[in-house]
This record gives sequence, structure tokens and C-alpha cells, in this order.
Amino acid sequence: MNSYQSILILKPDLEEAQVAQALEKIGADIVKFKGEIVKAEHWGKKRLAYKVKKNRFGYYLNILHTSDPAGIVDLENEYRLFDQIVKYMTIRLDAGEWEAALGAGGEEGAETDKPSEEAGKEKSSEEAGKEKPAEAAKAETEEKTETEEKTETQQA
Amino acid sequence: MTTLKRRAFLTQKICRFCTDKMVRIPFHDVKLLKPLVSERGKIVPSRISGNCAKHQRQLTRAVKRARNIALLPFSVES
Repeated sequence: MNSYQSILILKPDLEEAQVAQALEKIGADIVKFKGEIVKAEHWGKKRLAYKVKKNRFGYYLNILHTSDPAGIVDLENEYRLFDQIVKYMTIRLDAGEWEAALGAGGEEGAETDKPSEEAGKEKSSEEAGKEKPAEAAKAETEEKTETEEKTETQQA
Repeated sequence: MTTLKRRAFLTQKICRFCTDKMVRIPFHDVKLLKPLVSERGKIVPSRISGNCAKHQRQLTRAVKRARNIALLPFSVES
């Protein structure tokens, strides 16, 4: 029995009730393949980075579940046939990842998101300062090596 | 002049994940991954971002997963 994480993108135009229904169906599928849903998270409607089946948006579901390793192929087949799912990804989690995912899970939306947001901002501002001198230095070192090469060839 | 600049560049090379004591890089944290991806959607090399090899490997994996599930773009057309 392995631990898995399934991220599903559902169609964006579903009602809340339909999402709940879909989740129920997926839960039944997972149970069918000797698994069990440990946790299901709604990440909500998000803008997709690229169009998927002509959809610009998608409703993200994150499901942490266990399953028989042999059942995953069949489970993914079920996902593929389920017309409300636009895209899916199933990954196996090792013990550490599993615990981290479960631990961070409940408060994920509320707690862990915020510090990372702040950190992200700080980093981006830091980086804005960082990158320019870094690039300049890089360009300079490249120039330097070039000139060095030239002098070498001249010497030769 | 060049040596000064070079030194300044080298001292900035600290792995941001090591300083945060992060064991794992979550692939679903877009805000964390965004600054480590270029405008065109490419992964920023560790030579520039200053990440350590261990975390750069994790980052690559995280970015690739995020791309797969449409959280990050594969490429951005200019």
C-alpha cells in the first residue's frame, strides 16, 4: 500500500454541489482500487498557466490517498474517462512527503500560504537588487575569460 | 575593479532554501517558484540564483510538476 497525491483539475463552470458529487465519485473509484481518501482539499478555481481543453480556468482538487500500486493505472483510466476532469496528475509520496503533506494540509490555505507569500515578496525584491549586479559580474567575467583566451592565442 | 565586483557576486551566492531551512520544495507553491523561473518560463540556473545543488534538483522537479498541472507555463511566447 503506497501513499499517493492526486491533483485533479475540474471544469471551471461546475457548481459547488457538482464538485462535491465529483469528489464522491472519485472517492468511490479510489475505494474500488483498494485505496482510501485520507484527505481532500479544495484549492478552488484558479487561472491555468496554459489552455487545457480550451479552458482558461480550472477547479483544483488535491486528494491525498492510499492505493494498491497496481490500481493506479486503472484509477488514472477512471480519471481519463470522467468527463468533468480536465487534467490530472498522480504522484507517489514517500513517508516524509506524506507526513509533510498531511501536516501542512489543514491549515495550508490559512497558515503556510501567508509566510511563503511574504517570503516570496522579500525574495523578489532582494532578487531585483541581486540579479543586476550578478548579471553584470557574469558578463564581466565572460569578457575577462575571452580576453584571456585572446592573449593566450596571441602568445601561442 | 573586476575582482571587487566578482567578490560581491560570489558573496551573494547563498541558497535561499538552505537559509529558510526548507527540507522540501512544494510544487504547488507558485509564489515560491515564480522568482526561480525566467520570464519565458525557463528554470533559472543555480549559477544565477545561487541555489545549492541539492535544492536545485528539488526545484527542477517541483517546477516540472507544476508545469504538468498547469500551475506554471511550459513556455511563454513573447
